[in-house]
Amino acid sequence: MERRSWKKSRTFWGSVATIVSGIMMLWVPLNLYLSTFLPGSVAMIGLLFGGLLILTGLLAMFFPNNSKILGFMTIFFSILSVIGALGGFLVGTVFGIIGGSLLIAWGPVAVHEPKSKKSKNRKPELTESPVKAG
Amino acid sequence: MEEREQEVQVRSGFSKKAFWTSLASGFLLLGLLLVSFGISGVACAVPIAGVGDFYVKFDQLEGTGYTFYPKLGETSSSDSSPQGTNLIKDVTIKNLQLYKDFKVGGDTIRVLITASKPVRITGLHHDAGLIQANAKFQNLTLKENNSSNWQKQFEQTSSKITLENAKLKTHYLFQETINMAGMKLTVEKIK
Repeated sequence: MERRSWKKSRTFWGSVATIVSGIMMLWVPLNLYLSTFLPGSVAMIGLLFGGLLILTGLLAMFFPNNSKILGFMTIFFSILSVIGALGGFLVGTVFGIIGGSLLIAWGPVAVHEPKSKKSKNRKPELTESPVKAG
Repeated sequence: MEEREQEVQVRSGFSKKAFWTSLASGFLLLGLLLVSFGISGVACAVPIAGVGDFYVKFDQLEGTGYTFYPKLGETSSSDSSPQGTNLIKDVTIKNLQLYKDFKVGGDTIRVLITASKPVRITGLHHDAGLIQANAKFQNLTLKENNSSNWQKQFEQTSSKITLENAKLKTHYLFQETINMAGMKLTVEKIK
């Protein structure tokens, strides 16, 4: 119950798609690990964008209030990663755009649930604790 | 007496309009980037042009619409080095090998790209510092032009060019389109 509430209070699938996109971006330069670090290689840019996308996904997971700006950053990084990392064979870019769109579309909504108590002396009921976003 | 309290919980709100708008914008931007690569040929040129001073070897090259003129261009070790520009409209190359050697510490590392099947190229632009090959030309023309630009003062053209057992020291390579069937990239230590 606690875990479901935690997932519902943030853009869980958007963050997951962004992290998966970052892992795919890293796939290309890590497979060319020897030539990636050679002078003049543009594959290094793939490492940078892959790392930034994973970081963005993690930030969106733990700071959901900033999901909109992180969503824009995700789409921007995913598209630019076509240069250097081939966009994780374009699959990473597609995941990044979907993840970024999910982050942009998400917004926290406060739900007010009425709770009634017979009296102050009554033993308190075990209820789901409110989740703070961000 | 009944006392009413309110518990506030944060839940996911999802805007379908924002999702589809940003998804469409993302794919539109991606499309524009890919189209711009297609128009300018940047995607082909970037990985090779950054390396510089690499070697091209092949068994046979057959091309049509050949033009050669001299130029000064950048290499990996010099800002301005004498080179020759070869422009060929349509090319077919058999047993192509592209390689570049790097010295890393005490070792030499070779990045080698090979194609087991004939490679077809259109719009080839090739700047070379050295060309070793058995060459055949058809309708070969060498001419001088009266121009203040020294690069345009001399040019060599031929309707058809055939090179065999060639080795070319290359500084810049650009293709409008390239079809490399059976391509293989290896990175290996050499002695």
